[in-house]
Amino acid sequence: MGGLWHPEWRRLAFCSWRWSHPESPARAAERVQPFLRPGRNGTGRAERGLTRLGTWERPGLARDPAVQPPRRPKSTNPFTRAQEEDWRRRNKTVLTYVAAAAVGMLGASYAAVPFYRLYCQITGLGGSAVAGHASDQIENMVPVKDRIIKVTFNADVHASLQWNFRPQQTEIYVVPGETALAFYKAKNPSDKPIIGISTYNVVPFEAGQYFNKIQCFCFEEQRLNPQEEVDMPVFFYIDPEFAEDPRMVNVDLITLSYTFFEAKEGHKLSLPGYK
Amino acid sequence: MSTAMNFGTKNFQPRPPDKGSFPLDHFGECKSFKEKFMKCLRDNNFENALCRNESKEYLECRMERQLMAQEPLEKLGFGDLIDGKAEAKNKF
Repeated sequence: MGGLWHPEWRRLAFCSWRWSHPESPARAAERVQPFLRPGRNGTGRAERGLTRLGTWERPGLARDPAVQPPRRPKSTNPFTRAQEEDWRRRNKTVLTYVAAAAVGMLGASYAAVPFYRLYCQITGLGGSAVAGHASDQIENMVPVKDRIIKVTFNADVHASLQWNFRPQQTEIYVVPGETALAFYKAKNPSDKPIIGISTYNVVPFEAGQYFNKIQCFCFEEQRLNPQEEVDMPVFFYIDPEFAEDPRMVNVDLITLSYTFFEAKEGHKLSLPGYK
Repeated sequence: MSTAMNFGTKNFQPRPPDKGSFPLDHFGECKSFKEKFMKCLRDNNFENALCRNESKEYLECRMERQLMAQEPLEKLGFGDLIDGKAEAKNKF
C-alpha cells in the first residue's frame, strides 16, 4: 500500500476524505508518475511507469515533499505542450485575480458599515440621506394656495395614564407650504405628578412623509403637576411637494393622532379599582 | 396599530420634530395669545391662512419667555408676514 500513501498527499490536507477514499490507480499513477521518471520523453515511459505502479513497486527516487509535482500536460506534442503550460499559467493568474476580487468585494461590504457611519458624521446628515428638511427649506417654500387640505386631530391616552388629553380644535384647513399651529390640552386630575411621553401617527401613511413637524411635544417626557392643565402646541407644515405627488391627488384629509403613555420612572402605577 | 394582519403593510415611521420639543408652559404665560389664536380660528371656520398673525404672535410670546428657542421668523415660515408689517410701518 506504500505507493498510494505518498508523503506528498499529506499536503493535500483539505481533501482529507482522500485518506478514506483512495483514488483509482489510473489517477494515482498520474500523480506519482513524475517521481518515477525524471525525464519526459513520450508515451513509452508512461506505460512503464504505470506497470511499475501496478506491481506496488516502491519508487526508489528521492521524493521531495516540498516540491509540488507539476501537472502532467495533456498533449504529448512538445510544441503544443508549451502553449498548454502557458494557458495553464494564465488561467491560474486569472483565477487568482478573480478570487482576490471576490474577497475584496466581501471585505468592502463589511467595511461599508463604519464608513457610512463616518460619512454621516462628517456631513452631518445623521442617517437621513434626504436633504431639504432644513430650515432653509421652510424659509424658501411657497404655499400652494389652490390645494386646501383638512387636518383633523385625534388624541389618545394609554389606559394606565390618568391624564385628560384632547385637541383644542377638531380640524384645521391648511395648504402645503404654509406653517400652521395647533393646540392640544392636557390635564392631570390626580394628586400626584405624572410624567407622560407621547408619540404620533399620521393617516394616510403615504401622506405622513410630507407631514413635517417643526416643533411639538412628542418623544420627550412631559411632567404634569397635580391638577395642572397645560396647552401643548404643535407647529407643523405640509411639504409643498405634496401637491406634485401623483399618489396624493385624492388625499384631502390628513389625520394627526397623538397618544400619550406613562413614563415610569420609579413612579407607582395606580391600578383602576384599587384605591 | 399593533393588531394582526399588518405584516405586509408599511409601518408608519414617526420622525422627531425638526426643532425638538416645546417646553411646557406650566405658568400659562402665553395663554392669552393662545386664546386669541383659537378665537380667530373659530371665527374663520378653522382656516389657518387667515390666522397666521395670531400664530406668529403666540410663537413670539414663547420666544420672549424662553419657552422656545429664538429663531428668526423667516425660518418659521412667517417671512411674508414680516414684510407686510414692515411695509405697513413704512407707509405710516
